[in-house]
Amino acid sequence: MSAVRPSRRGVLTSAAVVGAAGIGAGVSAVASRPAAAGSPTASRTVPFHGTRQAGVTTPAQDSLVFAALDVTTKRAGDLADVLQRWSAAAATMTTGVPVGGPGGLGGAGDEPPQDTGEAHELPAANLTVTLGYGPSLFDERFGLADRRPAALEELPALPGEQLDPTKVGGDLCLQACADDPQVAFHAVRNLVRIGRGTVRVRWMQLGFGRTSTTSTTQSTPRNLMGFKDGTANLRAEDTADLEKFVWVGGQGAPAADQDWMRGGTYLVARRIRMLIESWDRASLGEQERVIGRAKESGAPLSGTQEFDALDLDKTVHGKPAIDVAAHVRLAAPDTNGGVKMLRRGYSYTDGLDVATGQLDAGLFFIVFGNDPHQQFVPVQRRLGTHDALTEYLKHTGSGIFACPPGVQRDGAWGEGLFI
Amino acid sequence: MIRTSRPLLALAAAPLLLLVACSGGSTAADDSASGGAASGAVKVTLTDDGCTAEPNSVPAGAASFEVVNSGASAVTEAELVNSGGRILGERENLTPGLRGKFSLKLEAGEYTIQCPNAATETSTFTVTGSAPSSTEDPLFAAATSGYQTYVKQQVADLVTATGAFAAAVEAGDVAKAKELYGPARAPYERIEPVAESFGDLDPKIDVRIADVADPSTWTGFHRIEQALFEKGTTEGMAPVAQQLVADVGQLNTLVQTTTYQPADLANGASGLLDEVAKSKVTGEEEAYSHLDLLDFAANVEGSRKAFDLLTPALQVTDADLVTTIQGRFDDVQTALQPYRRGDGYALYTELTPDQVKDLATAVDALAEPLSQVSGKVVGAANQ
Repeated sequence: MSAVRPSRRGVLTSAAVVGAAGIGAGVSAVASRPAAAGSPTASRTVPFHGTRQAGVTTPAQDSLVFAALDVTTKRAGDLADVLQRWSAAAATMTTGVPVGGPGGLGGAGDEPPQDTGEAHELPAANLTVTLGYGPSLFDERFGLADRRPAALEELPALPGEQLDPTKVGGDLCLQACADDPQVAFHAVRNLVRIGRGTVRVRWMQLGFGRTSTTSTTQSTPRNLMGFKDGTANLRAEDTADLEKFVWVGGQGAPAADQDWMRGGTYLVARRIRMLIESWDRASLGEQERVIGRAKESGAPLSGTQEFDALDLDKTVHGKPAIDVAAHVRLAAPDTNGGVKMLRRGYSYTDGLDVATGQLDAGLFFIVFGNDPHQQFVPVQRRLGTHDALTEYLKHTGSGIFACPPGVQRDGAWGEGLFI
Repeated sequence: MIRTSRPLLALAAAPLLLLVACSGGSTAADDSASGGAASGAVKVTLTDDGCTAEPNSVPAGAASFEVVNSGASAVTEAELVNSGGRILGERENLTPGLRGKFSLKLEAGEYTIQCPNAATETSTFTVTGSAPSSTEDPLFAAATSGYQTYVKQQVADLVTATGAFAAAVEAGDVAKAKELYGPARAPYERIEPVAESFGDLDPKIDVRIADVADPSTWTGFHRIEQALFEKGTTEGMAPVAQQLVADVGQLNTLVQTTTYQPADLANGASGLLDEVAKSKVTGEEEAYSHLDLLDFAANVEGSRKAFDLLTPALQVTDADLVTTIQGRFDDVQTALQPYRRGDGYALYTELTPDQVKDLATAVDALAEPLSQVSGKVVGAANQ
């Protein structure tokens, strides 16, 4: 038995509880970390409650922690309880308050604090937490088979993928985004802790450096290929397109077949490994031909400015200005029956591919849409077959999730399914 | 904080309230006046300075406590603790503007109201009438004396099994020593936290090579384990076996007179699961014999024993938590079941990564609620 029993003083004053001498120093170092360049003031909060879940059209924050989880209980009541407690904790954390309220960091010296503490004194950093349900949740376990929307079907095998079975699927997903990676990690960590015994993490991905622009107020960031990414993305301000392509049951969208999903959206996540070493050996001309844009300005090869519209018919010396196999051509709505999607990806690195000694890095691609099998799937099929970029990519992780509509102040996640 | 689910619609309140409504909280606004309460109606007000009970004395019998947070930011809970240090009732997660109630029968005596994190964390509370003769809490007394008995019995088994194991080692009988190694490990693993409380005794008995600064001073079970299971010999192990017998004997002497506090039981139960998570479920503990699952099961058995002894006390403050923890103990023991082999368990090396993950998940699921037991039953005075 431990000879040292912690006193009942607050955690932060009790060396017996804190233990590590570095905690205090660490906090102040973090607290004084400047907000990342280009991020809106990091102290801002994004409301958790509303008709839509935050984290879809919210201006993309700087970092991501994405977790796919499996439900381990057979009791629907336990899962409902966790979803309820998750929404309460997420609502609290997104305002910059610890789990369990202002005193959540302390409490009695003889019990673990409710909040894990590492986000204390950090600003809310625009934290959003977005929940999704995977197709596997709608099996016989919880009697949800007849509640599964038709669009929530496992993704088919797609060209250009070499999926790692440990990074695929999930009964649930949590997407936490914030302008501070520590805030995003803290959110997922505490939700995982709350769910322990009912859910467990199946796979997880940390992302940094948003690779998408989801608002006209944001400049276009660059992905790890060094190219601006998301120039032609849907924006929060494109309300008509969001209705048509993103929100379930929206104006001009396919009818919603499940009432509980009305106002929600589907999330497709793809962990796309970039073959960085090969890419870095490619000449500038090859890189630009493959993407279809100029590396420095981001302008399409048919124009001169970043936001010039693609001119897919333009020729230079008799050849298409934008190559027939260029990524932007094959991904453009005009060549995909007008399909638009809301991308919200992040760069990732997981260190090293130990088998080859190469860097394991790339794009954690997240895309939202109201009909992924008619939007993402055909586009990806086309890209995987014809896109010159595919030579430099490998899809290694994958998941599809139904993100329900937003939670109202007196509501909770799980409504419409469990409650 | 682990609760059974309840319909959401009954909680027409802000989400933060979800955290408290289930523990009997309500907003100060929907004040259901406590008219017609028992003769002992007590209002406990939380402030950052401390908690005050009004009145601070009631006659023996039924009493109902209403805990109100009218604006304390650092203080969100109050507990009523008896003179034996046991928490009889509590309300927690009362953020400013919330209130919660608990009711109970009180015998005459001196109590304390405790509110962690306040400037003054305790205030006295008196129940008048004819006091019972003993101030020792009977539920705690039963738990701690029961644990003392259990520890003595396990160490007695350890002495016997280690003696037989050491005899086989000294006789140079490798096969027999291998056979007797596991049975000697189990009783030790059941009461490991107790052994750890005696300074260097645990390292002498149970240290692993990685934790020894000078390998020539390595003693205990694992040194012999390496000789038997990795090298297939007892050569040079006789003195190590004799030392092990002496160290186990020393442990036996010490536990004859060791007494335990209720917090020791709760922390010991949690500590055993941390042992499982840290070195058994990873296959690190029994690196040569791969008997990790046997240690795993023994750790869980010891943890469950300590918890079972505390259950009557915990039942009073949080019956839901008892149900949750019991269910998760069952889950862990069920998860181990397929690996039973006669008196022992399958070797760790036979497990697939997925099987290891399932076991680890079950342990984590149990350890989380178990970590709350101490704070639920033991008042500060007994920490």
